[in-house]
Amino acid sequence: MSAGTAPLRLALVGNPNCGKTALFNLLTGSRQKVANYAGVTVERKEGRMRGADGRQYALLDLPGAYSFQAASLDEAVTRDICRGFYPGEAAPDILVCVVDATNLRLHLRFALEVRALGRPMVLAVNMMDTARRRGIAIDLQALARELGVPVVETVAVRRDGGRALVAQLDAMAEAPTVPAVQLSTADGPVETHVQAVADALHAETRRLLALAVTMPRRTAQVDDALDRWLLHPVFGLLALAAVMFLIFQAVYAWATPLMDAIDAGAGWLGASVGAALPEGPLNSLLVDGVIAGLGGVVIFLPQILILFAFILALEESGYLPRAAFLLDRLMYGAGLSGRSFIPLLSSFACAVPGIMATRSIQDPRDRIATILVAPLMTCSARLPVYALLIAAFIPQREVWGLFNLQGLVLFALYAAGVVSALLVSTVMKRWRRDKSEHALLLELPSYRLPHPRDLLIGLWERAMIFLRRVGGIILALTILLWFLLSFPTPPPGYTGNPLDVSLAGRIGHAMTVVFAPLGFDWRICIALIPGLAAREVAVSSLATVYALSAANDDAAAQALSPLIAQDWTLATALSLLVWYIYAPMCISTLATIKRETHSWKQTGFATGYLFALAYLASLLTYQLAVALGAG
Amino acid sequence: MQGASWLPLAVQYAVVAVAVTLSAWAVLRAQAPAFERRLRTALALPLLRAGRPMWMRTLGRWIAPAPAASAAACGGCDGCGPKA
Repeated sequence: MSAGTAPLRLALVGNPNCGKTALFNLLTGSRQKVANYAGVTVERKEGRMRGADGRQYALLDLPGAYSFQAASLDEAVTRDICRGFYPGEAAPDILVCVVDATNLRLHLRFALEVRALGRPMVLAVNMMDTARRRGIAIDLQALARELGVPVVETVAVRRDGGRALVAQLDAMAEAPTVPAVQLSTADGPVETHVQAVADALHAETRRLLALAVTMPRRTAQVDDALDRWLLHPVFGLLALAAVMFLIFQAVYAWATPLMDAIDAGAGWLGASVGAALPEGPLNSLLVDGVIAGLGGVVIFLPQILILFAFILALEESGYLPRAAFLLDRLMYGAGLSGRSFIPLLSSFACAVPGIMATRSIQDPRDRIATILVAPLMTCSARLPVYALLIAAFIPQREVWGLFNLQGLVLFALYAAGVVSALLVSTVMKRWRRDKSEHALLLELPSYRLPHPRDLLIGLWERAMIFLRRVGGIILALTILLWFLLSFPTPPPGYTGNPLDVSLAGRIGHAMTVVFAPLGFDWRICIALIPGLAAREVAVSSLATVYALSAANDDAAAQALSPLIAQDWTLATALSLLVWYIYAPMCISTLATIKRETHSWKQTGFATGYLFALAYLASLLTYQLAVALGAG
Repeated sequence: MQGASWLPLAVQYAVVAVAVTLSAWAVLRAQAPAFERRLRTALALPLLRAGRPMWMRTLGRWIAPAPAASAAACGGCDGCGPKA
């Protein structure tokens, strides 16, 4: 085969989370086409790449699979394509089996199954940099010799991390070699044969590990000792609760100095720009719109980063899968499964990746239940809203001389989201006919100290995601809202609030018909609309509304928090906090639910129940608070 | 009005108009990408008709949405993939 002929068909195959898709992205760049496999809702990703000599390859990123004994639709698709049985899909010319170098005990088993197909194959040992850092030594030559297939090292997250693989593919394109392997020759019933194959795979994996892999002198004893406490049904749950509790305390205790600095910076910038520009629409746009609006959101960056520093540290330390294990029983009781834990945890960052992560849940029933409750997890976009209202209405004082009251309230809000999700899934479970339990199979990695570099990279990525949102959709919405709040201008001689005659003012006043029973005035109603695109825009919208309605420049330059503390009642603040626990105020989340479920019915149900829950809970909170004298 | 001489009101309104238009386009693009593509196609097509002056066709090409990311052999209309 030479350059210029039909492209050679490659298929990337491997366990979930082996870095297959990262490798696919590295090799193909943006030359990708995403569709579905015929007849099923399993995503099909194909891309093109060129070899060193210009040879064209068509690369297929197959769904992750643990075994060809398929337990899910994804695994069945992968199995059939690898075997060349999938309708409408040509068999791949070369299989690129990707394994995680840090987890060969699990991944080599599947690689042996792939080898047993007897098709041309190359083994890509991915994440070799991480393996080296952890002290895992892998003899690739010994592995290649014993497996009888070429073995290359890849680092999918590094720009040149696929070079060895491309060189190997070029060589194989000239002379493809087929491994000849027979794992088990057991006769008898199918079950006996399947068991014999599984036993042979385990034995062969152990043999390969003994020959080619040297694990660090790391102490399974330390892991066992820690697990005795951290996985204990009582102490483990207490430890988990304590960890989460401390995180929210730290979010408040550590972030204040940085937040004050950002607040002062935004105030100085607004004053400087206001003084430098002549009075007029541009001055108002920049000072009351852009700087007041964005400054009101950026101020919460330190809290978001502190929260994610803890989440990343827990993830890196190997604790998170243990938390999933601990919560499996609780989640099953609520109609979910331990597999729901990671998607739900991802939803604390953003519901969109959380909902997409439910693809790893094999049971469709569990998957739908997880998708429907994922929006109840407190995403990072809600944090600015919570932080604003807590700072304005909850005094900063210690409780029992130990805890920060504001941190306690934040913890309670996050807990309210989690408890609500469990309650909703419990109710949904009652409606289901199939109440069978699905076992959770989970790999618990060794404990390790998080690497500061990995933490810093993770935090940098989070900060960039947040700042890109601030500079992108939040900036755009803030400018649009400023425009709607500023035009049309009131007629000459008008003595009322100019915002009342603006487009946004009229919309806000019209909305109060629905939201007044919740204690929301027209300004809060206005902030709810752009919040549909990004929840944190509610904060920048309020900042813009208050800056524009300020009586003078000094009042406009004030931080938002004291302004709403003067203007709102405690009942309104509590009602808005409760509204944000439940409200389906995110178009992206709803679009993702539609895309993942392929069902308008499920999307409509999610929107309807979240809105109803938000409205009823806020109504109850407001009316109760007013009755208790907080109105 | 201090500084009004170096930044006339008309210029300020022009800058605001550009900022608002770009913001509206950015929000449309982020929240309704399919509609944004259709809108750009609809705006570009009349400008690309045969007989239009060169500057108009150049403008049309600039307005028209870029082809979707796809395999090299594909025209990028995104209409050929198997549908579930």
